[in-house]
Amino acid sequence: MSHFESDPHLYTGVLDDREDHAPGDAPEESAGHWVRNANIGLGFSIVLTVASFLLAGSNAIYAPAIPVALIVLAIAQIGVHLVFFLHITTGPDNTNNVLALAFGTLVVFLIVIGSIWIMGNLSNNMMPMEQLMQMQR
Amino acid sequence: MFGKLDLSAIPFSEPIALITSVVVILIAVGVLILITVKGWWPYLWHEWITSVDHKRIGVMYCLLGVVMLIRGFADAIMMRTQQAVAINAPGYLSPEHYDQIFTAHGTIMILFGAMPLVLGFMNFLVPLQLGVRDVAFPTFNSVGFWLTASGALLINVSLFVGEFARTGWLPYPPLSETAYTPGVGVDYYLWAVQISGVGTLITGINIVTTVLKMRCPGMSYLRMPVFCWTALASCLLIVATFPVLTATLAMLTLDRYLGWHYFTNTAGGNPMMFVNLVWAWGHPEVYILVLPAFGIFSEVFSTFSGKPLFGYRSMVAATLFICIVSMMVWLHHFFTMGAGPAVNTFFGISSSIIAVGTGVKIYNWIFTMYGGRVRFEVPMLWSMGFIFTFIIGGLTGVLLAIPPADFVTHNSMFLVAHFHNVIIGGVVFAVFAGLEFWFPKAFGFRLHEGWGKAAFWFAFIGFWVTFTPLYVLGLLGMTRRLQHINFEEWRPWLYISVIGVGILILGVISQATQLVVSIRDRQNLRDVTGDPWDGRSLEWATPSPPPFFNFAVMPDVEGEEAYWGIKLRAVETQQLSPEPTYEPIHMPVNSPVGFYTAFFTSVFGFAMVWYIWWLAILALVAAFAGFVVFAWRDVHEFEVPVEQVASVDRARRAARAALLDRLGTQEVLP
Amino acid sequence: MTYTGLPASIETIRRVREDPHRLGHRAHGAAEPVPGAGHGETGPARKRIIVGYGFWIYLLSDIVLFSCFFAAFAVLREATAGGPTISQIVDLPRVAFETTALLLSSYTCMLSYAAMNARSRLWTQIFLLITGFLGLVFVLLELQEFIELAARGITPQLSGMLTSFFGLVGLHGLHVTLGGLWLATMLAQVQVKGFRPEIVHRLICFNLFWHALDIVWIGIFTIVYLIGSGA
Repeated sequence: MSHFESDPHLYTGVLDDREDHAPGDAPEESAGHWVRNANIGLGFSIVLTVASFLLAGSNAIYAPAIPVALIVLAIAQIGVHLVFFLHITTGPDNTNNVLALAFGTLVVFLIVIGSIWIMGNLSNNMMPMEQLMQMQR
Repeated sequence: MFGKLDLSAIPFSEPIALITSVVVILIAVGVLILITVKGWWPYLWHEWITSVDHKRIGVMYCLLGVVMLIRGFADAIMMRTQQAVAINAPGYLSPEHYDQIFTAHGTIMILFGAMPLVLGFMNFLVPLQLGVRDVAFPTFNSVGFWLTASGALLINVSLFVGEFARTGWLPYPPLSETAYTPGVGVDYYLWAVQISGVGTLITGINIVTTVLKMRCPGMSYLRMPVFCWTALASCLLIVATFPVLTATLAMLTLDRYLGWHYFTNTAGGNPMMFVNLVWAWGHPEVYILVLPAFGIFSEVFSTFSGKPLFGYRSMVAATLFICIVSMMVWLHHFFTMGAGPAVNTFFGISSSIIAVGTGVKIYNWIFTMYGGRVRFEVPMLWSMGFIFTFIIGGLTGVLLAIPPADFVTHNSMFLVAHFHNVIIGGVVFAVFAGLEFWFPKAFGFRLHEGWGKAAFWFAFIGFWVTFTPLYVLGLLGMTRRLQHINFEEWRPWLYISVIGVGILILGVISQATQLVVSIRDRQNLRDVTGDPWDGRSLEWATPSPPPFFNFAVMPDVEGEEAYWGIKLRAVETQQLSPEPTYEPIHMPVNSPVGFYTAFFTSVFGFAMVWYIWWLAILALVAAFAGFVVFAWRDVHEFEVPVEQVASVDRARRAARAALLDRLGTQEVLP
Repeated sequence: MTYTGLPASIETIRRVREDPHRLGHRAHGAAEPVPGAGHGETGPARKRIIVGYGFWIYLLSDIVLFSCFFAAFAVLREATAGGPTISQIVDLPRVAFETTALLLSSYTCMLSYAAMNARSRLWTQIFLLITGFLGLVFVLLELQEFIELAARGITPQLSGMLTSFFGLVGLHGLHVTLGGLWLATMLAQVQVKGFRPEIVHRLICFNLFWHALDIVWIGIFTIVYLIGSGA
């Protein structure tokens, strides 16, 4: 801890752009930068959210495609949040943050897809639980 | 007022549990009285309980782990002897009691024995090896340790008050649902594991952040000691998979406490989903344990062969490969549950592939010894014993990864022999190698060599005599967790196994004797140089034991094997590097918040187990209030005056200079 | 062998001892500072970065926690056990209000963060208050939803699907509630202590936490409510 609190930069909050950034943080910027980002993020989010809600109840497109379209919109909106609210960029100062995010995404993907695949396979191959219980009676 | 808790919770009908309880309580009271009489409380409180020093916390983790290993070993002795005497006979343990014992054995050995030891090593070593003064979040580190201790306490309370789970170390539903296990056993399991799981997660986050963001100048990723790499991979797995355990156990808790239907076999619940989710944690968990063990072996092999580790980069690559692939193999724990051939084949192949990463490591260790000057000191013996043991365990593992073969050996004693083969051979041997190796660093004196060698040989031989018969028994058709046995032809193998346990007991006695003898002879065994084994990484650049700030001046690393480079330069030029200019150091202040939180989580867990709702709410509120009060503190650090830093470091330099003189007069390089 | 000023014998011993057969050991080039630190050349990162990154790692683990509840919902979605299906319990207008509240709270949280960077205590506090208020609205709406469902006899005890529904949505609601408690604590801390470094660090973490909750909510309203309403 030591060396950090005595760090002269710390109290001014000035960040050196040669260094890594904390997630959601960025090099010294005026408040206007943050507000602008927030406005853009909010704008995109509103558009995407409204699109999702309209799509869910509509007959405009081929019905079985709706869930896929909704998931695409959700992923887009998550991307908007990451970029405009959480300030995830591709810059070298963000490498660690992006790598951690990629790792987390991989884990989520493995657990969700793996579970769905495994459990779907099991329920296809196995007797439904109710029938199994009745057989035991 | 007291929920389900009344006098019937005390196990009067189980003489073994009752006697153990009384003895343990008497010992605990005795220790407390001793501490009070000797007036050690202020020392304990200021130097250990409230300490946020990563080295102290690491030592406490290891102490907790060793105590729990002994507890788990006692369970193991009971299981092996029960099976040996219960051949066509009832034996001395009732089925209810026996089931609690094998459940407790598995839970304690993995979660409260091996985990604390592994976390202890990571805590102690990572900052020292990276050349920094503490982990990223020292106070949270203390919280993490005390939460683990809180879980361990809860699991041991179940011995005296109530009962423990009878479901096996992973409480598979529907057996673990209220309908089939109404008692408090599973609840003890749930809360103990949840609380310690939070502690583990905190430590995992801490070590990941430390390794990625806090390294001394020049310590680029590819200059980190392999142990730091394995600690990083292990903690990434903790961060990725302990939430899965938390989620799964939370779902089971909701089922049990509120009558929900995640895993019930009625109303649309799906018990198989528990198996799926819990192994999505359970398989990475074994790599969480074994990766740091690989790191320990890497350090030991290269130090005692007097060579850099062979294939450092391939070692790093193999570590990360295992880290990722270990999250893609979990189904091999339930090949027989009924998934189709596509799923079983995928997971069978991925399980076999993970052996490639391990194989790379094994060859690297062997090639590290090749052409080196191998010193057969105790840590090296454990490491060589590991290679032999772990290869056999790995081979039986690959066998089990083949679905058709697994259908034959699933849940048999063959499986039991296999995972003891890899966990004892991998993790426990690593822990003993590591304790032997870094004990002088932590306490300033070496352990007695003769007793250490005795302990190794007893453990090594005892292990094989115990577990080889289990392989045979598994192939003869014996399933695991049998309380009594009706097959006369298994008798000789079970007897041989008990003989093995006897040899293992001699090993444990040797370890204990080694500790006592070493403490008695500590003046002779003292390590004055700080570098007793001719080490290669930065922890050996500090005195033994290291000062609380580790490094007076942060090292500047110029290559792999940071300390080896410094040492080599000193030997070549026959002088130490010029004295640095010392500056005052800022260190975090001690904090009781970890101990305080853990106290209330213990109370909370106990209250939840016994349905004492008011107490549970009270404990939660108190824990939260404690956190707010803690967050309000104004002083986070204190300054170590420059004179103190300088005097500590000058003493270290004097010891180094003496070592250098000795090296210079005797032979250029030993 | 251009090593400076050493007898050849010592140089040989040094080389042999280091790695007798030169197996698998490649010397590194001279240390070149890598642009963009945190790559080892410049020593430990600063406290602000360490705290932010540590919390980022915690958030990843929290997302994994949610992913298990998502997986459980996906698996148990059809397990209605004769009870209502998911499309029968979805009330889209309320979900739209909840989404609006949470999205706006994310926005105001961001504004409070901007105000913090401008070191304006008043605006930081105002935007934090609005964030907390919108969070409260969200939690109350969710509570109302649960109570209405319970009044219709729809409880988690009825079926596996309802269990996984209440579990997932409830877990998110619990997170928002805990976030609200944290927010209240932060309000008090900012008021009393001002922008001390550790307070700023905590505000960075809180900002991350609140946005992460919104990201999880995107997953919930899409997968549970919108796709569920069509099923």
